[in-house]
Amino acid sequence: MEGQLSSLVITKEDIETIDELFSQYLVDSQAKDIILLNKSGELLAKSGMVTRDSAIAVSALAAGVFSATNELAKLLGEREFTLTFHQGKETNIHISLVDPLVLLAVIFDNKAPIGAIRFWAKKISGSIKPVLEKMAAGPRQEPSQDLRKGLQDEIDNLF
Amino acid sequence: MSLIDFSKSEITFKVVYYGPAMSGKTTNLSWIFRTIPEKVKGQFTSIATETERTLFFDFLPVELGTVKGFKIRLSLYTVPGQELYKLTRKSVLKSVDGIVFVADSNRDRREDNIKNLEDMVKNLADYELPDTPIIYQLNKRDTTPIMPVSELIDDLQLKGKPVYLGIASSGVSVMECLKGITREVVSKI
Repeated sequence: MEGQLSSLVITKEDIETIDELFSQYLVDSQAKDIILLNKSGELLAKSGMVTRDSAIAVSALAAGVFSATNELAKLLGEREFTLTFHQGKETNIHISLVDPLVLLAVIFDNKAPIGAIRFWAKKISGSIKPVLEKMAAGPRQEPSQDLRKGLQDEIDNLF
Repeated sequence: MSLIDFSKSEITFKVVYYGPAMSGKTTNLSWIFRTIPEKVKGQFTSIATETERTLFFDFLPVELGTVKGFKIRLSLYTVPGQELYKLTRKSVLKSVDGIVFVADSNRDRREDNIKNLEDMVKNLADYELPDTPIIYQLNKRDTTPIMPVSELIDDLQLKGKPVYLGIASSGVSVMECLKGITREVVSKI
């Protein structure tokens, strides 16, 4: 059985901390893009040249790939595989588990050796983990009553 | 699990179109993609076999508009309906906020509807999501041999539940279903 929260809340401060970390790592690692997503495929944060639209699609697909890989793990008697890596002619993508709900996708060009990709993915993951723990432990910002009511009243106008 | 991003003032809901093979799940998404304005839709991603049957999932992000300063976004997914892709169906359902169950009105598909609905209920129970909002589209109302609506409702035990009669290939009830499930998921926030 896998219990789930009804919603995941990200605050402005959380995103500022993550953006700052990612910007530094983009410079240090020479990665093209860094994308943080949850296991259900939603984009949480992104850094690099990737457009928001592409990052949204990458998140859905990366979560799908990761989920499929984990079904494969179970069939092979493993509890889960914690990372998956795809190598192309020009681009490589490394997807790894940061915490039970969150994945990190790091995209490199073909100049980066595999060892360096693994090193940086692990380093970024290690730095982001305490931020996610803080997010989970901190006081939860809730949507206001005004927003809840607005959603109920105005949803029909959106169609 | 809805995602509330206060930094971008956005709320994203995950909606999955579930149902037996060839019942019209991808057709629903394709219709939505063709109908909604360019500026509110993202990339339509489809992982299909060479014969265009869904292999993994289809994915379409949609931005509905703004309510009280918050952008409302939907991530629409379909699942592969074929029996063989049972595990894929389950994985796409992870953290779902709402479901459109697309049933096939053709009499020859009666067993598939029932089996697929049972499969969905079991998966939701495994994820501890038994209260997920679900609406039901009885699709292909132009098919032959067609099952009467009352028989489908009895078969799938849909009495008192939100049911829409659809012909997704020509857009009948597609947007109504999307609106119906959106109304349901926002009420849960």
